[in-house]
Amino acid sequence: MSSFLIDEVTGIVRDAGGSVVGRTRLQKVAYLLTVTGLENNFQFSYKHYGPFSEQLASSAHLASLIGKLRERQDQTAWGGTYSTYTVDGADVIDHSSVRVRLASEAVKADSIELELAATAVFLFFDGYANPWEETARRKFEKSTPQRLANAQALLNKLKQIDVPKPLPQI
Amino acid sequence: MKIVQQKEGSNESREKIALAAAMVHDVGHGPFSHAFETVGKRLGLKLADHEKMSDMLIRDGELADILKEMGSGFANDVADMIKKDGKQTLHNAVVSSQFDADRLDYMRRDRMMTGSQHSAIDLTWLLANLEIGDVPVGVDEAQVGTVPTFVIGPKAIQAAEAYVMGLFQLYPTIYFHKATRGAEKVFAELLVRIVELIQEGSLARVGLPENHPLVKFSRNPETIDTALALDDTVVWGALPLLQESSDPLLAEFSDRLLNRKLFKCIDIRTRVTHKIDPKNTRAEQAVDKIDRCCVNVIIKLQEWEQANKGDVPRLLTDQAERKPYKAGGGTSGPTEQINVRTDGGALIDLKQRSEVVSALSVFKLTRVYHSRKDTAVVTVINEIIDGEVK
Repeated sequence: MSSFLIDEVTGIVRDAGGSVVGRTRLQKVAYLLTVTGLENNFQFSYKHYGPFSEQLASSAHLASLIGKLRERQDQTAWGGTYSTYTVDGADVIDHSSVRVRLASEAVKADSIELELAATAVFLFFDGYANPWEETARRKFEKSTPQRLANAQALLNKLKQIDVPKPLPQI
Repeated sequence: MKIVQQKEGSNESREKIALAAAMVHDVGHGPFSHAFETVGKRLGLKLADHEKMSDMLIRDGELADILKEMGSGFANDVADMIKKDGKQTLHNAVVSSQFDADRLDYMRRDRMMTGSQHSAIDLTWLLANLEIGDVPVGVDEAQVGTVPTFVIGPKAIQAAEAYVMGLFQLYPTIYFHKATRGAEKVFAELLVRIVELIQEGSLARVGLPENHPLVKFSRNPETIDTALALDDTVVWGALPLLQESSDPLLAEFSDRLLNRKLFKCIDIRTRVTHKIDPKNTRAEQAVDKIDRCCVNVIIKLQEWEQANKGDVPRLLTDQAERKPYKAGGGTSGPTEQINVRTDGGALIDLKQRSEVVSALSVFKLTRVYHSRKDTAVVTVINEIIDGEVK
């Protein structure tokens, strides 16, 4: 067994429907799967762009180098670049599994709102009594009232899925 | 900071926060800095993460008491600026940007301390030509807004080229030097083993006394005082004791570090490149094949090591890369470029103005380390490389 988690990262992309747009989305989907007990291979720490796993990032990079994961980079309208990850095999996933349901719901979300939701969950588990307030304070530019409301709505939607470790009631 | 004042006017509060943040941002590093972080990642030790440790020390420790003399919220403001939390102002660029104080300092300091003569930068000219610009930031495909940061004026393009080149060259020659990385690999294995043995209750095999800082940390890795007690000298001082350990790995690897009997390095990427693209054409297909081969070789070597696991690792793999611009972990965008203000006032990436910078490719290393005496493992390594290249 190698230290690279190639099958694990491709498994996340597959269960999210076979395509994940954006490195941030991939990280936050993986974090939400981890915190709900549906994934246990990656460690996450707090960065200013929310929960982040260096091992996930490097595994995705290596998986693309050896052709297990396709990564296409495109220019954004705002001057940055973003990646789209795709894998084969999404046509045979079990859509009734909670892992697939959570991943495929999270991956559809706006990436900024997904980042806000994942950050609030992370801060809750880091001991913050009011994680939304702390999220808004930390992510000043991203936390417009509309985005925060949408992030809360997203989390409420994800809470409907019956996962092994429930998302916090925040 | 004078540049910030000239451009933005004085904001004494933010200036003091930025100065304090620049001074204390690395205070949480453990022994041998990033090598200790590798140990933490393998064992899930939160306080081996220097960012986490710095944050705790600044907000709550002895350091916090001093910072709080500047005002009740000062320590938290300093910690927030280091973590890039809260509203981003130009003062954040002093602490984190392509031209932050840390980078401008360590480039010159590391060059001096290692005795290297390359990678010199024209700091005076760079600073004289630093300007302020608003650059867009985003998350994946969505834009969030803009942040103020440092850009350079058109007269400093050559100085910026030298800056990018210099930083880029420090990686293969100093930070990624094969001997340095080889020593870090041995250090990481040694520390992982110490912590694992102590946590499983086998202190007698380690050979350190009950009150040794490494023992205390291994038993209570979540306690700030035990993490704070670790530094380079603690590890150096432990090595003679570890040489007498009954654990083969600890005895051998402590001796290797203490007496500089480092593992020998085989540069896999050089070997693979020589076989696949001997004339170094850098054709896209060849580059892809080299990358694929290198990753597959590393995976197979790690699998071989696992399958033949003994008391002491027989090979240690190493893989890293460095882009010409220093990249963060988030979405790539203009904050991760060197932005040049043109005569017309537009901001463009330095790569668009500099053929030298645009020609730079990502520096990648793929290496394996082994004992000089272990000729059998060299045969295994050669067979795996040759098998993969075919």
